[in-house]
Amino acid sequence: MTLIELENVWKRYGREWVLRDISLSVDAGEVVALLGPNGVGKTTLLRVAATLTRPQKGTVRLFGKPARRIDAERGELLYLANPPAFYRHLSGEENLQSSLQLMGKPVLDGEIEAAMRAVGLAPGKPVSAYSSGMKKRLTMARIRLLKPKVLLLDEPETALDAEGREMLLALIDEVKRGGAVLLATHDREFARAVADREVVMRP
Amino acid sequence: MEPKRAKQRLDPLTQGLLWVGFLTLAAGLFFALKAPPDVQQGYLVRILYLHVAAAWTGYLAFIVAGVYALLYLVREDPRFDRLSAASAEIGLWLSLLMVLGGMMWARPTWGVYWVWEPRLTSVAVMVAIYAAYFLLRQAIEDPEMRAKAAAGVAILGVINIPITYMSVYWWRSIHQTASIDIINRRVNMAPEMVTALLVNLLAFTLIYLGFLRLKGMLAEMGAREEEQSG
Amino acid sequence: MKRILVLALRDLRIEFRGRSGLLSALFFLGVVLLILGFALGPEENDLRRAAPGVLWVALAFAGSLLAGRVWAVEVENGTLDDLLLTPGSREWIYWGKFLFLWVLLLLVALVLLFMVAGMFYLPLDRAPGLFLTLILGATGYAAVATFYAGIVVRLSTAQLVLPILVFTVVVPVILAAVRATVGLAEGAAMAEVASWWKFLAAFDLIYLTACSLLFPFVIEG
Repeated sequence: MTLIELENVWKRYGREWVLRDISLSVDAGEVVALLGPNGVGKTTLLRVAATLTRPQKGTVRLFGKPARRIDAERGELLYLANPPAFYRHLSGEENLQSSLQLMGKPVLDGEIEAAMRAVGLAPGKPVSAYSSGMKKRLTMARIRLLKPKVLLLDEPETALDAEGREMLLALIDEVKRGGAVLLATHDREFARAVADREVVMRP
Repeated sequence: MEPKRAKQRLDPLTQGLLWVGFLTLAAGLFFALKAPPDVQQGYLVRILYLHVAAAWTGYLAFIVAGVYALLYLVREDPRFDRLSAASAEIGLWLSLLMVLGGMMWARPTWGVYWVWEPRLTSVAVMVAIYAAYFLLRQAIEDPEMRAKAAAGVAILGVINIPITYMSVYWWRSIHQTASIDIINRRVNMAPEMVTALLVNLLAFTLIYLGFLRLKGMLAEMGAREEEQSG
Repeated sequence: MKRILVLALRDLRIEFRGRSGLLSALFFLGVVLLILGFALGPEENDLRRAAPGVLWVALAFAGSLLAGRVWAVEVENGTLDDLLLTPGSREWIYWGKFLFLWVLLLLVALVLLFMVAGMFYLPLDRAPGLFLTLILGATGYAAVATFYAGIVVRLSTAQLVLPILVFTVVVPVILAAVRATVGLAEGAAMAEVASWWKFLAAFDLIYLTACSLLFPFVIEG
């Protein structure tokens, strides 16, 4: 089943066309990596796929439905921006809890702490005290807890150490079983290791 | 070549509206000068023909702007946004005309140009809302974001108008009771005065519709040019 | 319903930990009252007559500072996208943010009430009536401010545009609230004060309904 589908998408900001006639689809059980120089529109493409911005022309389909019509399905969709977005004044576990609750998912006892330990984070600290690598690990805990079917990642491997990368690879493999992953990266090696297909965008 | 031509020639409906509108306005002026002076206000009452006509069409323009804004939010067709903005702009000019006419009438009648009386205050508020509307439009570059934000302001603005109108009844007021009382269906005027008022009203409405179409077309050409150059 | 509370409580928790917004709003109030006191004083009668106006003007100014906080927390942390990507219709986001601003406004209004009572001799002997006026006024203000703050959230000039948008629409709230406060302060009949409360309640109802229904269409994405 095709979970992410972009057809002849055109997107511009102001007068500048960022995406020109892009078509791309990602099936369930597939990981696709977007490569290409800075400013080529990788992030914009991800945001269009996440229904966060609407293209001027072309169609976007998610879960086999027009992007405008998905509603309950948004609970199965996870877009993780780079740098990661968390509330600085809240601790890691408070951030995860709020994210789960607002997504309308049940919060089980000890589940959040387990997810944090699984990515090598100790609970208790506010996110403002996290390093950028730790924030990246916290996003991995979010993936674990939310178990998305469509996962959109913007440069997920940056700021991670070798151990963190291994965890990320394993995690993406897990989501891939039954889900679709679309990620943007500058790291060719990482792309080769994680992706079934690489898409190179050119200006 | 096609868009160039459109620049030079208006479509017949727009032309017709503007022509008939201005002719009616001339007739309205004639009737206004022919109508008898008011028992209390004398010749001064003639300002009111323009004042009331501008007020009514101003309200109409804001209501139309609100309706187009709502249509835009539902359909997301940029045409509705352009028409909404065009109508709001004409409404703003008409309201300023109304305020100016009112001031000219108020100076000899009340002795001052302006009083802090509820209806005047709420009209000032209305003008401020639509001035803010254009400030906001200027501030946002992304056309889609601009249209959505402007639609929000236009709709809240139009909700403010009935509050404005009802304020006459809710607050004690020294303003003239409305000339044609919609709520109680009474007409407080001599028949010649009613004719003059209605003709002026028709003229303003026709001119408003003509300008709305004209401005909508101009905005559409502007948008098309921007797209081509981009 | 549950998500509305979760969102409002979470934002309040962030605001109290960060403290920056609430504290600067309170300091700002102090400064505004000082300036108004210098400008209108020191005659006790003048101050007493000006007190209701001072109360609501100061609250409106402080409110526009707080309204910026409603969405700033999402923009500063980059979390607005996450909020927009939650499943279901987006009305609850409006209600959660409204609730947050409403609580903040009432807290500030309460402090302000005692400050005005102290510095401008506003009589507090009809305190329940004053509280009701504050609640009704804050509701209308928060309803409009939450909506407009959401519209301009990503604008770099948001802090400049927002007060213009909010003030123009909430003028009826301020007017009616001032009249109600004057009535309470000068011992007017309850019926007269109640008519202003009815006006405020009608405004609150109309704008809460309109804003919550429009919000999902107006917020981007």
